[in-house]
Amino acid sequence: MPTTEQPMNTFKWDSKIPSGPLGEKWSNHKNNVKLVNPNNKRKHNIIVVGTGLAGASAAASLAELGYNVDAFCIQDSARRAHSIAAQGGINAAKNYQNDGDSVWRLFYDTIKGGDYRSREANVHRLAEVSNNIIDQCVAQGVPFAREYGGTLSNRSFGGAQLSRTFYARGQTGQQLLLGAYSALMKGVNSGKINMYAREEMLDLVVIDGVARGIITRNLVTGEINRYAADAVLLCTGGYGNVYYLSTNAKNSNVTAAWRCYKRGAAFANPNFTQIHPTCIPVSGDYQSKLTLMSESLRNDGRVWVPKKVGDKRHPNDIPDDERDYYLERIYPSFGNLVPRDVASRNAKYVCDEGRGVGETGLAVYLDFRDAIKRDGENVIRDKYGNLFDMYEKITGENPYEVPMRIFPAVHYTMGGLWVDYNLMTTVPGLFALGEANFSDHGANRLGASALMQGLADGYFVIPYTLGDYIASAKPDKITTDHKAFEETEREAVAQLDKLLKIKGKKTILDFHRQLGKVMWDKVGMARNEEGLKEAIAEIREMRAEFWENVFVPGEPATYNKYLEYANRVADFLELGELMAVDALDRRESCGGHFREESQTPEGEAQRDDENFSYVSVWEFMGLEKDPVLHKEDLIFENVKLTQRSYK
Amino acid sequence: MSNNETMSLTLKIWRQKNQNTKGFFEEHKMDDVNPHMSFLEMLDLLNEHLMQDQKEPIEFDHDCREGICGSCNLVINGVAHGPEMRTAACQLHMRKFNDGDTITIEPWRAEAFPMIKDLVVDRSAFDRIMSAGGYVSVGTGNAPDANAIPIPKQQADQAMDYAVCIGCGACVASCPNSSASLFTGAKISQFANLPQGEPERKRRVVAMVEQMEKEGFGDCSNYAECEAVCPVGISISAIAEMRREYMKALI
Amino acid sequence: MASLTAALQSSVGRKILTGITGIFLVIFLVVHLAGNLTLFAPDQGESFNLYAQFLHDLGPLLWIAEIILVVLFLLHAYIGISIYLRRKKARPENYHLYKSQGGPSKQNFASKSMAVTGVVLLIFVVLHILHFKYQAFSPETYYTTINGEEVKDLTRHVVEAFQNIWVVLAYTFVMLMVGVHLKHGVWSAFISLGAGNPKKTAVLYTIGTIVAVLLSLGFLFIPIYIYLNGGV
Repeated sequence: MPTTEQPMNTFKWDSKIPSGPLGEKWSNHKNNVKLVNPNNKRKHNIIVVGTGLAGASAAASLAELGYNVDAFCIQDSARRAHSIAAQGGINAAKNYQNDGDSVWRLFYDTIKGGDYRSREANVHRLAEVSNNIIDQCVAQGVPFAREYGGTLSNRSFGGAQLSRTFYARGQTGQQLLLGAYSALMKGVNSGKINMYAREEMLDLVVIDGVARGIITRNLVTGEINRYAADAVLLCTGGYGNVYYLSTNAKNSNVTAAWRCYKRGAAFANPNFTQIHPTCIPVSGDYQSKLTLMSESLRNDGRVWVPKKVGDKRHPNDIPDDERDYYLERIYPSFGNLVPRDVASRNAKYVCDEGRGVGETGLAVYLDFRDAIKRDGENVIRDKYGNLFDMYEKITGENPYEVPMRIFPAVHYTMGGLWVDYNLMTTVPGLFALGEANFSDHGANRLGASALMQGLADGYFVIPYTLGDYIASAKPDKITTDHKAFEETEREAVAQLDKLLKIKGKKTILDFHRQLGKVMWDKVGMARNEEGLKEAIAEIREMRAEFWENVFVPGEPATYNKYLEYANRVADFLELGELMAVDALDRRESCGGHFREESQTPEGEAQRDDENFSYVSVWEFMGLEKDPVLHKEDLIFENVKLTQRSYK
Repeated sequence: MSNNETMSLTLKIWRQKNQNTKGFFEEHKMDDVNPHMSFLEMLDLLNEHLMQDQKEPIEFDHDCREGICGSCNLVINGVAHGPEMRTAACQLHMRKFNDGDTITIEPWRAEAFPMIKDLVVDRSAFDRIMSAGGYVSVGTGNAPDANAIPIPKQQADQAMDYAVCIGCGACVASCPNSSASLFTGAKISQFANLPQGEPERKRRVVAMVEQMEKEGFGDCSNYAECEAVCPVGISISAIAEMRREYMKALI
Repeated sequence: MASLTAALQSSVGRKILTGITGIFLVIFLVVHLAGNLTLFAPDQGESFNLYAQFLHDLGPLLWIAEIILVVLFLLHAYIGISIYLRRKKARPENYHLYKSQGGPSKQNFASKSMAVTGVVLLIFVVLHILHFKYQAFSPETYYTTINGEEVKDLTRHVVEAFQNIWVVLAYTFVMLMVGVHLKHGVWSAFISLGAGNPKKTAVLYTIGTIVAVLLSLGFLFIPIYIYLNGGV
């Protein structure tokens, strides 16, 4: 396969970026990949772990091609994967609004939004297939919002000056996932997909260095099962729950990806975490999760705090000239629509200054007063009604009358398993799709791009690149009797048994909360060397205590949600350390990663392209040894690196 | 109410080891419930107390905790998802209850939703109804341009009103007959309102209705209790539309 | 595609049949009420007797109509009762505490008692036919002459029957049950036959209630008026 002329000699793996001009790489690549004969496809078994946008779309598309697919999810139905909770929308370069959008602009905004820490080729491919995604979803019957004339409607999102976001009210993720889920269920009906719900991947089976299957636990019966395949696709989402409080679903976890890391799949940019600016603030320490309010709200809502420190007046009693619409003030050209990392960091600053609002002082206002005055309450209700209702349910306040209170919360992890251009990890035969990989968002993801990436990977990338792997590697037949399956199963079972036998004094939640606090305080919105070093030491200590003093209730061979939970927290306790190690290595600020040591005089993130224009790729060397850092240099041939400015 | 005030509650919670054993109510008293907690956070706290005493926690389904995944399935004081209209149990907050209340919590009860443990039941019947026909058979890659088929806003909105179903099963749980008509009807009605659904509309409605029957759900007597408990407020007109589609399929 | 008979046995098919039979039975009630109200034509019940004679003279046509009515009625009752009986199977273990959420719910006395009111009506219809069609409870059959022809004096039978307070009370009770049954029944038939959209369901329910009240009051009026008035 043709690769670029970039100097690869220092990097351990080949990122397999096709040669040729940026705009032709993907089509050239598609023309060059090896194909699997339709009759042969049915001889190949593919495992898809996770049924969110990436997993469901991949499983459905591969089944249509003729592969036999085993799909797994931890939820009781594939439809409940956490993609369902995405609210705002999905980007595509359709230029239906005639506002000058193009594949190039979507590519450029995404690269820039990611603060130049992603691969040009991957991002360009993403922008290229974005239009196909919209077509595909509409054909499936996804009821996107429409204009009176019957054409699709768009709205704008942070980090873009165009309207390119397609949406289905505030439930775009739900509708896209249900579309992909329906395609998946069609595959189930045709017998091409075996769907295993409530079945959790515990480990990856590697034979002769190649991914050949997985070990799972049936979450209802506790039964441990083995599944063999010619390729394993990891579509297991992100690991934001390492912070304990996040907008992720309670069951979202890193276990599948982490176990793969420990089996040889390198982990890229683990510290790159997106902290979303518009979430409902924490109200007490009983809080179990955070709820996102779609970024689309920033189209009409204005963000402000009082000018005076400690102004405890009711927001409606604070006159305009005593309000600081700080985003509009600092970033006049993007205003309230600056990218997420910028909006979050500024919220932190004003709260650090003591100008935060609400009981905890850890919130800023998002005010719809002016939009309601301008457009009328009905228009606002039409656009955001369900979000306003949700806000009212959670806080007990009516946002039509009182400004919303919002605060940043962990939302998405740009980091993930390292993959090459073909979405294959460093373990041959193991692929990672969607949020589980690291590939497209650099150091910061733009709004409405996660849905785009998940579906791009599943519908339009993996069907080509997986075929190429199968046709080239020609995996031989294996069965689950192989001793590698036995061995891996034994290890997975041993860990569960060990957890159950500790019978310590602290609950799993105690540890998770404690880990989350360290992560939020020291590996959160602002990081510094001292804090990161402390975090590493504290996490190590916590991990040691966990394995001696955690209480895991119940039996292994039954439905036991706290056993699942303990097993996941055990992995978070290892991942957290790697995230801190990674953040410590990257002594620059970029995107969501803000190193206090590296900022401009105005307090903006200061990138250091000379020294850090690389992907940090971590290789596991054993739990007691430090992971090894490999650097994949990022080569920019088409965009000029500039300090991001949204002013 | 400030964060410092706490409520005392008596909880009567259904416990059942598995399908083959008899279930029973277990009573728990709590005196440290914060009114700003969500209902599930209150259960989390109870489980924390139980585990601190080295006891087995109560199993209940939950995931997104923002009312969209459809995992949570509690019958609270006799009503699926509890007393607040258009609210899934995970979005229900303790401020809706009073200090000193007794709260009864039961699982979804239906033959088609077999018991797994405590408050957890098996809703895979819904998946099988969906796989019988809840889709448009369009393969990846062969879609025309998204704007090629204009769909009037009103019609798209109507389809969306039905498409928002979260598949939680409250409709079944609350129905005196344990009917799954609202769930099935919502999906059929979504496609009935979209041109994309047209080619398969007859096959779809017949197959989905047939599967619904096979799963052991009851008949619909138009009580509309399903609409009342539906966390996303899907109208019973979904059921009317399903029957309309069914009649068209017969003709 | 399922065959028509199989389709009509499906859960949706059953409700469609219940709806169709129900609608026809409501139409029958309307016609029946219209006929009954001829009692109050200012001719001492002559119109009513003529109406009865007219029906009687239809001969085989009447039989056919009667057979159809019986079939509709029994089919309606059979499906209704079988739906009611299936609920136990669909939920073997019941809730220990069950409440309606209210709001758009149509769970009320009317909808919850459909089976009971239905069975009451079933028993009533048998007795009612014996009572007035065959005058089974009267010692003798009355005749009268209209336009030189001897016809049954059904008016007199009715008037006499409704001089008995117990008969009046029984009919009143049953007519209230008709109203209760129709309050849910008419609405239910609309939905079973696919009527309405989200904005119109409330209207349909109101229409159902109006039909129920009008028919119930219409039928109620007859025995009570006759009892209080001592005649027609």
